[in-house]
Amino acid sequence: MAEIGLRNLTKVYGQDVTAVDSIDLDVRDGEFMVLLGPSGCGKSTTLRMIAGLETVTEGEITIDGDVVNEVDPAERDLAVVFQNYALYPHMSVAGNLSFGLKLRKLSREEIDRRIATTAEMLGIGDLLKRRPRQLSGGQQQRVALGRALVRDPVAFLFDEPLSNLDAKLRAAMRTELIKLHRMLGKTIVHVTHDQVEAMTMGERICIMRDGRIVQVGPPLEVYRNPVDTFVAGFLASPPMNLLDARFGGATGLDSVELPSVSLPLLAAHKEALRGHAGEAITLGIRPEDLDAEPSAARHAAMTVSVVAVESLGPEVILVAALPGGQEISARLDRDFVARAGSELQLHVDLERLHFFDTATGRAVTAA
Amino acid sequence: MSPATGGTLTLTQRDRRFGYLLTAPGLAVLVVVVTFPLFFTIFTSFYDYTLLTPNHDTFIGGENYQEAAEEEYLPGSLWVTVKFVLASVVIEFIIGFVVALSLNATTRFKTVYYLILLAPLLINPVVVGLLWRMLLHSELGIVNYAIGLVGIRPVSWLGDPAIAFWTVVLTDIWHQVSFMAILLLAGLSALPREPYEAARMDGASPLRCFVFITLPLMQPVIAVALLLRMIFAIKTFDIVFIMTKGGPGTATDLISYFIYRAAFFGLDIGRASAMAVGLLIIVVLLTVFLYRYMRSLT
Repeated sequence: MAEIGLRNLTKVYGQDVTAVDSIDLDVRDGEFMVLLGPSGCGKSTTLRMIAGLETVTEGEITIDGDVVNEVDPAERDLAVVFQNYALYPHMSVAGNLSFGLKLRKLSREEIDRRIATTAEMLGIGDLLKRRPRQLSGGQQQRVALGRALVRDPVAFLFDEPLSNLDAKLRAAMRTELIKLHRMLGKTIVHVTHDQVEAMTMGERICIMRDGRIVQVGPPLEVYRNPVDTFVAGFLASPPMNLLDARFGGATGLDSVELPSVSLPLLAAHKEALRGHAGEAITLGIRPEDLDAEPSAARHAAMTVSVVAVESLGPEVILVAALPGGQEISARLDRDFVARAGSELQLHVDLERLHFFDTATGRAVTAA
Repeated sequence: MSPATGGTLTLTQRDRRFGYLLTAPGLAVLVVVVTFPLFFTIFTSFYDYTLLTPNHDTFIGGENYQEAAEEEYLPGSLWVTVKFVLASVVIEFIIGFVVALSLNATTRFKTVYYLILLAPLLINPVVVGLLWRMLLHSELGIVNYAIGLVGIRPVSWLGDPAIAFWTVVLTDIWHQVSFMAILLLAGLSALPREPYEAARMDGASPLRCFVFITLPLMQPVIAVALLLRMIFAIKTFDIVFIMTKGGPGTATDLISYFIYRAAFFGLDIGRASAMAVGLLIIVVLLTVFLYRYMRSLT
């Protein structure tokens, strides 16, 4: 059981390469926290600092309230699962599992008992005598996980453990990790650049960019209310459409004006957007809030010309161009068909429009 | 055969032809300078070929081999060679590993260290021999002068049988230790970083990391380095030729020098050839073993 706290945590490499820039984060006891961001955003460095594999330049790391900056990695009682598994290549699976336990001077019986339990839990019982190179990627991944589990640490740190697996296996392991977390109830910090992993696994997501935390929150909340265009453009696939627009109409706040398209503003939005009348704005529309057919919720129409129709099987992604040339994608029904170059109408859910300050990218109001 | 390739050369065939074309000059040179002397030696070893009667007129079968095996001083020379190979390779390995480990841990001035390390390797062994013979000269050498300054009596580095052996060993170590260090360093720098991090999380001390991770992971590199150096050390000739001429007595009479004496002092090329073939077989066996081992790694 462990709460992990980061206070003003900073990592500077050499003289001036700031990998992590003064971040604050509280991971609750038993929580599944996902650090999400593009490569180079500092998420792995943050995890490695928590593990103790990187020194802290400034700030504090606490585990259950105790500052652990100077505590040896082994004494922190955390277990890491590495991206490329980092198994001991010359030891058998059983050797890999028992190495840390032997160093901790556990009794032979206790070690055997733990290995048996863990092996059964992960279904690697018949692999115990094999060497890592005799295992498939998925099996190595399980052994790496097993090596973490067998230690029975206070918290787990996952450094992109699923990124070397193929898509099918990754989906299966996602489910398994979620189950494992529910069963063990231990704190998990999981680093990934895969937004699907973040959305499906995390109890909370911490989105990072350029060494800073951009937004922390439960997946759906982050999805519904992205704080800026970076988060809006990062989460979900295809990401939110971000369009250059301007408020207009008689009061300057009656509608959102795109070239040749005018979308009326709802009263609820107007209230929050007061003060931005007539200003330029970045309009955000999620592809799933667009439809080819009008419905009760989606009634504002805009005319677009079809650029491409990407059929994914269960759904169709339509890429279309607005009259002004800006491209927009829409997530449509699997039966949708259209010819490239043809014109059609897309219907927008006005309640789910997002508005971002064009200059700063920050959300102007929550939808 | 598909119609497209019928009658003309396939891409692979053309590639192969071009490859032969490119390697032909090199192969020709190798045949002249390596293969010809080799077969000449093997051929000669079956004839009564001496420098007084340098011809292949008298075929004597295995007589040269029998004579060589019955040589009175051959076992002694073999024993000196075994001692020399073991001493130099083992000491070079230990020093080389320590140097490689420390260099692997440093980041600053790495090029400077490399340069210093490589310097002896770039020197011709004959020059190394001359250099050390000069430095170790019992009256004029700087080494005896230096130890004299701290009150140690001059040492007869190359005159005393017990000391001369170790002098030759140490000279060889000075010359060759970098080879070992650089080979091991290449192995160390190619080791994966992750198992060490996993071991740190598991709570392993640096010593345990060395014993349980570095040594097992380095095993192939270590084996190759030891075997390669052994093969080279068995053939050592230049240093002994320059520094001691096998003496004093037979203290540094390495097998290659022993064979040289049989040929050019004993004038019996046939018998020397037989011994050279014997040495060749030992080296080839070691090489085959090395080759097999390296293949088994992949």
